[in-house]
Amino acid sequence: MDSSDDDFYSGEAMDDDYDYYNSDDAEDNDDYEFIEEDPDEDIDNLTSRRQQQSYTVLKEDDICQRQEDDITRVSTVLSISRVDASILLRHYNWCVSKVHDAWFADEDGVRKSVGLLEKPLVQFPNAKELTCGICFESYARDEVLSAVCGHPFCSACWRGYISATVNDGPGCLTLRCPDPSCRAAIGQDMIDKLASGEDKAKYCRYLIRSYVEDNRKTKWCPAPGCEYAVDFAAGSGNFDVWCLCSYSFCWNCTEEAHRPVDCGTVSKWILKNCAESENMNWILANSKPCPKCKRPIEKNQGCMHMTCSPPCKFEFCWLCLGAWSDHGERTGGFYACNRYETAKQQGDYDEAERRREMAKNSLEKYTHYYERWASNQSSRQKALADLHQMQTVHLEKLSDIQCTPESQLKFIIEAWLQIVECRRVLKWTYAYGYYLPEHELAKKQFFEYLQGEAESGLERLHQCAEKELQQFLTDESPSKEFNDFRTKLAGLTSVTKNYFENLVRALENGLADVDSHAACSKTTSSKHAGGASKGKSGRGKGSSRTGGSHDTGR
Amino acid sequence: MSGGIARGRLTEERKAWRKNHPHGFVAKPEATKDGSVNLMVWECIIPGKAGTDWEGGYFPLTLYFSEDYPSKPPKCKFPQGFFHPNVYPSGTVCLSILNEDNGWRPAITVKQILVGIQDLLDQPNPADPAQTDGYQLYIQDPAEYKKRVRQQANQYPPNL
Repeated sequence: MDSSDDDFYSGEAMDDDYDYYNSDDAEDNDDYEFIEEDPDEDIDNLTSRRQQQSYTVLKEDDICQRQEDDITRVSTVLSISRVDASILLRHYNWCVSKVHDAWFADEDGVRKSVGLLEKPLVQFPNAKELTCGICFESYARDEVLSAVCGHPFCSACWRGYISATVNDGPGCLTLRCPDPSCRAAIGQDMIDKLASGEDKAKYCRYLIRSYVEDNRKTKWCPAPGCEYAVDFAAGSGNFDVWCLCSYSFCWNCTEEAHRPVDCGTVSKWILKNCAESENMNWILANSKPCPKCKRPIEKNQGCMHMTCSPPCKFEFCWLCLGAWSDHGERTGGFYACNRYETAKQQGDYDEAERRREMAKNSLEKYTHYYERWASNQSSRQKALADLHQMQTVHLEKLSDIQCTPESQLKFIIEAWLQIVECRRVLKWTYAYGYYLPEHELAKKQFFEYLQGEAESGLERLHQCAEKELQQFLTDESPSKEFNDFRTKLAGLTSVTKNYFENLVRALENGLADVDSHAACSKTTSSKHAGGASKGKSGRGKGSSRTGGSHDTGR
Repeated sequence: MSGGIARGRLTEERKAWRKNHPHGFVAKPEATKDGSVNLMVWECIIPGKAGTDWEGGYFPLTLYFSEDYPSKPPKCKFPQGFFHPNVYPSGTVCLSILNEDNGWRPAITVKQILVGIQDLLDQPNPADPAQTDGYQLYIQDPAEYKKRVRQQANQYPPNL
């Protein structure tokens, strides 16, 4: 805990000096290596702020407003009616510039293909009665209606025609005159004049949906029941978007947000889970026996540190079922149970024949990663529920007990938000790990090192937010230790954030730092982490080759 | 479509057909056993076009109208197993103007449907195959295809 607090504070202190150090030639300043992480983070904050601006969440009002604005623009520029402008825009997938380009290149061609006629095709100047083209009955002139083309139909048949197409689906947006040879488009004005209230509402709905679904820049938020859409500006590398409904998803593949893992890996993994889920269901039944007393235990809290109920009180790790004491720093690797290889080499998996059988068809490997993927998933769900509970109930209570305004308890919410986000990232790193090629040993090791660091950081944070907070909720009077708790939790939040940013960065550039990492690890171990991130911060993302030559040059 | 329009429209179609229809075609509502007329099913005959391999054949086609007509197209069926690339094994005709999702318009008349199907006989649409037999021969073995078409034309002589 101490070391992480140090990191946190040293970060703050050095922050202001960023410009100064950065303007120096960093290679000559080996002494400053340790502060390099902070400028790095600053740059990242800027990037993430920029990335946040690369999309906009749209509520229904915003969608309608934008649609209206686009229609107005086209209608004004082309001097055509709003109804015609709307038909044109829909034809060109609501892209204003495409409408303009096509129109000014070949207005007649566009009018013809879209069905915007300038004058009637047929006229009946002297007829007193006209025959409806659908029911073939005769009607007085003023009882029949036509689109611009002039083909006469009685209003009952018009209504039937419109109602039938509206109820057939969004195809009603490209409605044409009922005459088989006529291409005249039927716009919203006819719908408004003739359709029932219900059908009008449906038509409007389809029009709004079309604006989101046919538009290449917008998509609906895929969360169940969410009615917001997201407008995404192309060109930014990061596809993760946060909807106002609090759901985060990948704009590219609309699966839940999975940064730093790419869309291809995610779809492979999801497909695999579908195929294997029946197997997994029994393997991952909700309970596990306590490794010591064998009583079944249900995991009801988010972190992996389990304590069996008295009298057993055995503390163990939910993931590997090993004693929690083995997960301490004493054993060298803190929280080392993310490492599939370690366990395999030690022969832990060779015990039962059934296990060996499973290893043959690689189910064992899959189980390892799936179990950790799924655990983090449910841990995240639990954390989300806890966050909600915190926001709605506990924060107020805590504020009363500790005599602290709620505004000064934001650090708790921030901690929980960080936990939720980290569980999500951690979850996807297990899908990443599953597909990491076995023969790329250096990458695998580096990946597991980063993952392990991030995971142990997160476990500490989760434990602190979940368990250590409890005592302050049951205090009778304000506790003196509450300030220490604040410092610790805020520190852990910040440190964990750092760990995960390193992890995300490393995975996003395909662990390209592994070369420089290998070179660095030959030098003193305390410096290699700083060296690796320096290579990045100094020279921009993903420049592992430059980073490598810098190390050999030294 | 508001209730009952199907029958009204079909009555009008019947009148128009009686007044004027293309040579060699037959189209009349089905006669039921008790002697009344079922307007919702029409029994038709399409003559093969002169100058094509279909010439000399008088092909029976049944039109099934639903209460949604003319919002929705009628279903058009040749006898089961009819040989043509765009006719399903059940005899149902696959033709763009009969597709309720895109080609159909309520103002398409029975006459237009029947003439459209006559055109389809000699001008199949290889992009939309509906049966294996007819499609494969049409693509791979034109000589055999021709033979089968002529054979089928002979199977359906004029009804004297």
